[in-house]
Amino acid sequence: MLDVSKLERRWLKYKIKSMLPYAGFLTVIIILGFTIPLLLSTSTSSHSSIKKENVKKLKAPLPPLSKNDENSMILEPSMQFLQSMNVPSPSLEKESISSIPVSTVPSKISISQPKIETAVPPPIVKPIQTPVQKGNLTSIKRDDTTFDIHELEERFKNNSNPNLGLYIARYHYDHGNYTESYNYALKTNAINSTIEESWLIFTKSLVKLGKEDQAKKTLQLYISNSNSQNAKNYLDTLGKESHK
Amino acid sequence: MEYSLFSKPRDLFIDIVNPKDYVQIDSVSHMYQSLKTSVQKPLKMILLYGRPGTGKSMLLHKLHHDLSKHQKVCMIDIPVIDEDDFLRVLAHKIYSYASRESLSLTNFLELSAAVNYPVIPIVLLDEAQLYSSSLMEKIRLISDARALKFVITLHKTDNEDIIAKEHFQTRIWESIELQNASYEELKIYIQKKLLKANCFDVANMINDKNIKLINKLTRGNYRDSNKLMFALFSLYAWYEEHNPSKIKYNALNKKWIEMAAIHTGLIRA
Ligand SMILES: Nc1ncnc2c1ncn2[C@@H]1O[C@H](COP(=O)(O)OP(=O)(O)OP(=O)(O)O)[C@@H](O)[C@H]1O
Ligand SMILES: [Mg+2]
Repeated sequence: MLDVSKLERRWLKYKIKSMLPYAGFLTVIIILGFTIPLLLSTSTSSHSSIKKENVKKLKAPLPPLSKNDENSMILEPSMQFLQSMNVPSPSLEKESISSIPVSTVPSKISISQPKIETAVPPPIVKPIQTPVQKGNLTSIKRDDTTFDIHELEERFKNNSNPNLGLYIARYHYDHGNYTESYNYALKTNAINSTIEESWLIFTKSLVKLGKEDQAKKTLQLYISNSNSQNAKNYLDTLGKESHK
Repeated sequence: MEYSLFSKPRDLFIDIVNPKDYVQIDSVSHMYQSLKTSVQKPLKMILLYGRPGTGKSMLLHKLHHDLSKHQKVCMIDIPVIDEDDFLRVLAHKIYSYASRESLSLTNFLELSAAVNYPVIPIVLLDEAQLYSSSLMEKIRLISDARALKFVITLHKTDNEDIIAKEHFQTRIWESIELQNASYEELKIYIQKKLLKANCFDVANMINDKNIKLINKLTRGNYRDSNKLMFALFSLYAWYEEHNPSKIKYNALNKKWIEMAAIHTGLIRA
């Protein structure tokens, strides 16, 4: 069947091969970077100012090369940000199952649910990265016609599978429906209060809905129960933004 | 093999055509709708063409599945290339007429007039690039006589443009071209397949960057994507058994996607 170790070796070969052109380019630049100053330092000191400029110019082509990856990342919807934060460690989650006083967390938060639904009109979300948001909008339209999220919601009603709840919450957050992502993250947390990503979507939705204080409180509560590093990081970024 | 979280998603991507596994994708369902209306038009012959693995057979089987509830439909998915055999097989399948000898075209048309279905039966021919020109001409005559309606599928390859062939140039053909999936469509295809089978946890693992990479590797070809996903989840199942600590559940492993692509030949290494 699968010869995984052989496959790993082939993969390594492939990676090295695909890196070769970049590596070649880099070595050329490094070599030039060393030799040009050497060559120039033998000439008169009046040239030294030119020398510096030369080196700078030589280095200039580097950034576009390494940017390749970043360019493709710009197109990612905002969920990416969350995913990059989310590094669940299964062992940690298991520990927290036993340590969390499950009843306190969801119940405290669910009190606020009606408030949001009445007080918050359809959320007006300020696009943070305008060009990206625009690009997303068109794809959202297509998504809605093809992807029957309502069918999934219907199934969630019947099976209460927290993984499905998380999926739906994520979907809505991706599509900018923050009231919905809030609701589904909330439901998911009520079923299983140990899913870090669900808590993050929940609090991020709160922030998007303009309830930053509540988001912070929730995060602190969650952190005290789970010790989640990602939640701490997010709380930190929230703190910084509000000080500005 | 032992039970594994990944064996079910893996088996979802086995490359078989079963109309029950049909996934609704925007552009495909548009085509499917227009296909369904075209089938009701008199005298037209319908040609489904596209590159290998773009879902022609799938669409044809879906059509068979849906139409056979209402009318006489006959699917010939393994081509009957022998000309004499062809009419005999059709006569048997549609008119339940068993005969050892081969039928002439005239005999066949007489038979069809004698049986006289209220709605013209539909014949679905997969892989029609394998039929000879003279057989295609016979098929056209049968269609002209309003004895049967035909929907056929054709491979489109680089070295031979079959559509350009004479017998498909006439105006009786209504042709529909199937294409590879776009990024959005591939995303929907993969996610829907997983969700349909209740593989929510695995569906949660797949992020947009993963899909982008898969789309880049397979160029949105459904068959290639199936093969890649099958190999990928086989890898996951392997690691789950032998080295579970390596599995991260928050995203698909880019390296493993590339390894699967090497295994299936999408990456040459
Ligand atoms: N809409 C769809 N829903 C579910 N599966 C699909 C869909 N379209 C294609 N597939 C899958 O993709 C694979 C390739 O599709 P298919 O066999 O229909 O291609 P094809 O165009 O007939 O190729 P070929 O020209 O080689 O015969 C199949 O395994 C099929 O199950
Ligand atoms: Mg086919």
